[in-house]
Amino acid sequence: MSRISQLSRTDWFGPLLATLLAILVVRGFSETFLSPYNIQILLLAIAVNALIAFSQMVIIAIGQMNLSVGAIGGLAAITFAGAMEVWGLPAPLAVMLALGVGAACGAMNGALIRITGISAFVITLATLSIFKGINLGLTEAQPFYGIPEGVKAFGNATILGIVPLIFVPTLLVSIALWYMLRRLPVGRFILAVGSNEHAAELSGISVTATVVIVHVLSGVIAAIAGILLVARLEIGQPSIGDDWLILSFAAPVIGGAVLAGGHVSVSATLLGVVIVAVITQALVLFSIDPFLVQVVLGAMILAAVGLNRLRAHQPVSGAG
Amino acid sequence: MMTDHPLFEAQGIEKAFPGVRALKGVDITLAGGSIHALLGENGAGKSTLIKIITGVHQPTAGTLRVDGEAVRFAGTRDAIARGIGVVHQERNLFPRFSVAENIHLEQIGASYFKPIDYAELNRKARQWLEPLELDVDPAMPVSELSVAKMQLVEIAKALSLQSRVLLLDEPTASLTASETDRLFAILRRLRDAGTSLLFVSHKLEEVQEICDRVTVLRDGENACDSRAMAGVTRGDLVEMMIGRAESAASGRRRAADGAPEMLGLQKVATELGHRDIDLSVRAGEIVGLYGLVGAGRTELAKAILGKFAITGGETRVAGEAVRIGSVAEAIHRHGIGYVSEDRKSEGLILQHSVLSNAGIPVWRRLAGAMGLLGDGKVRDAVLPYLEKLEVKTPSLAQSAGNLSGGNQQKISVAKWLAAGVRILIVDEPSVGIDIKTKAYLHDLLRDLADGGTAVLIITSDMPEMIALADRIAVMDGYTITGVVGNTGSYPEMSRRIMDLIHGPDAAARTA
Repeated sequence: MSRISQLSRTDWFGPLLATLLAILVVRGFSETFLSPYNIQILLLAIAVNALIAFSQMVIIAIGQMNLSVGAIGGLAAITFAGAMEVWGLPAPLAVMLALGVGAACGAMNGALIRITGISAFVITLATLSIFKGINLGLTEAQPFYGIPEGVKAFGNATILGIVPLIFVPTLLVSIALWYMLRRLPVGRFILAVGSNEHAAELSGISVTATVVIVHVLSGVIAAIAGILLVARLEIGQPSIGDDWLILSFAAPVIGGAVLAGGHVSVSATLLGVVIVAVITQALVLFSIDPFLVQVVLGAMILAAVGLNRLRAHQPVSGAG
Repeated sequence: MMTDHPLFEAQGIEKAFPGVRALKGVDITLAGGSIHALLGENGAGKSTLIKIITGVHQPTAGTLRVDGEAVRFAGTRDAIARGIGVVHQERNLFPRFSVAENIHLEQIGASYFKPIDYAELNRKARQWLEPLELDVDPAMPVSELSVAKMQLVEIAKALSLQSRVLLLDEPTASLTASETDRLFAILRRLRDAGTSLLFVSHKLEEVQEICDRVTVLRDGENACDSRAMAGVTRGDLVEMMIGRAESAASGRRRAADGAPEMLGLQKVATELGHRDIDLSVRAGEIVGLYGLVGAGRTELAKAILGKFAITGGETRVAGEAVRIGSVAEAIHRHGIGYVSEDRKSEGLILQHSVLSNAGIPVWRRLAGAMGLLGDGKVRDAVLPYLEKLEVKTPSLAQSAGNLSGGNQQKISVAKWLAAGVRILIVDEPSVGIDIKTKAYLHDLLRDLADGGTAVLIITSDMPEMIALADRIAVMDGYTITGVVGNTGSYPEMSRRIMDLIHGPDAAARTA
């Protein structure tokens, strides 16, 4: 097998080519695209969007979907902001509280799915409404403005003037996820359950524990994204999370994730986030209607799913 | 070599499911160093017995013994712990996981967060791959292996759990002849090392080649219990499998010879892999399509209906060559109806009323100029047929899901009568139906044929086939292996049919 065809079978190779191509093309049309300022803007978007994508990616890995990622992120965000403004909690404690809320929401999703046997789609559609309702009930749809200066500084600080500080948690989460899915039994169980639930059960894996764990993980990652957004925006917006859903699916799918479960890639999902960010940025640079971003995002999901199907339909040797 | 001391015994195993007694006191004794065949027709109880031995089901009565000690398996884990391994007919591997990881997933299961040492895993896996002469890199993903090698990986996985009893369910179903030979060499080696193997297969030649003992099940009972294979002929095995000279199969002899052909297939091939299918059904004739599960019968029916593409040969309806592009076309233009074997998911819409279920095929015909459709119109069209079939329902508004299996089946047939089909394909007509309704359904199908409808029956139930069909086409491996005229004599018919399935050509076809 040649080197190229081996590379083409990895998940990250296609998205990497697409990313480089997108960057080259946009750079060709716009001098300012790769300016330090613009790169910083790109990285800011990528830092949060990558977490949103990971929060969905781990659920895709077990062959389910989580429609409530945005609602969980939003609830965690206002928990974080509210705990600091209303209760005057120090930031680290408020972070812990927000992460706890994310974990609890995820645990509720996972437990409901396993106990009732109802599909994840229906359960998370219902909890999306519940979490969002709690959010609006607590905030009365008004933002929390009392964000401590330290948190604001963290949200807008950079390393060497280019890399935003909020990129660091994202990087750590990426590495941890990569390690988990590759090396830790729990990561392998997640992929095994997604690949063939029946066979996983026969191999002595607890499907219930795995499903609950993965939903808790999804909730915690969504909560981190919510917390980082509060730090960056410098207010606790109740509307945080409202527009996460499409993005959360787009990046993993562009990264070759199999929606039926059993196969996801952290690196390729990260590249998917970069592609979306570059294209969004390009539309802004070329002063194209920002609402078109949604159309482009939808088209990219369709194209990526189509490409994944083509790849999956490579002839299987020896079958039949 | 074979020991007298039995590794595993099952005695008086009974298993009742709601409405069915699948096993009525079955015995089997597995000795170490032996390859034991488990035979039986579809529905004889083989898979139920396997599920009981492997702990998937719990027996209603009877005892299981391992090493002479009575045991109770609450689940598959318990059976594994007692050294009973199984290689299922369907693959239970994770395609993207490595060979080593697939083999050792059970052992990893002990902890969630202890990092996996892949080097160690690969080293351990080699120790199970070597005895199977499976020369693959343990780090390679399973998806890159051939089907035969995947099967060996499953065997390695079962062996790595210290299995002393190994159940193999149709292990050669997807193997070529040379792969089968290699597998057999390995199984013999395992036997010589003292393992007790239980071999389930439909291929009698293979069974005779490799097995030293045999248990045959028929109708949930032992036709023979763990007897030595020596001296047992192929004929004896067939005899035991289909045995009963019972079933007063009132063969039906009708001369449909002169009648025009309603459905004709000539050299038909389909996208699903059927090839050289020659079949003809005349008006007023009932043709049976017999074969074992997986022979491709239901698939052929669906191809005729336009659900799957026909890729070669000629299809004729009422003497005219046709191309059926969709199910709607088959129903409305050509008058072909299909009663599915899977009533609940394909035949009926359980939540809907009896009336709307029976009326679906006629909606298009009855719909007025504006596409409007009155319940009254539908009622007029279907009521005579529901009455004729004596469907017992409190009202036409009753949802179909609340009726008995027999009544559901009657509705599935009634809807095609109302639609006035010329050709009716009935798939496993009596699955889940009590004996009385079954007899009634048989009368109905005969009446239907007498009225001029061409009927194609698919069934795995030999007595039913002999009771109904004028001619029987035997299918195996997605092709028709022969057509026999029904004489109504059960022993003769079952022998001729089994010969067409298990005959000397069968091995060549599946190779």
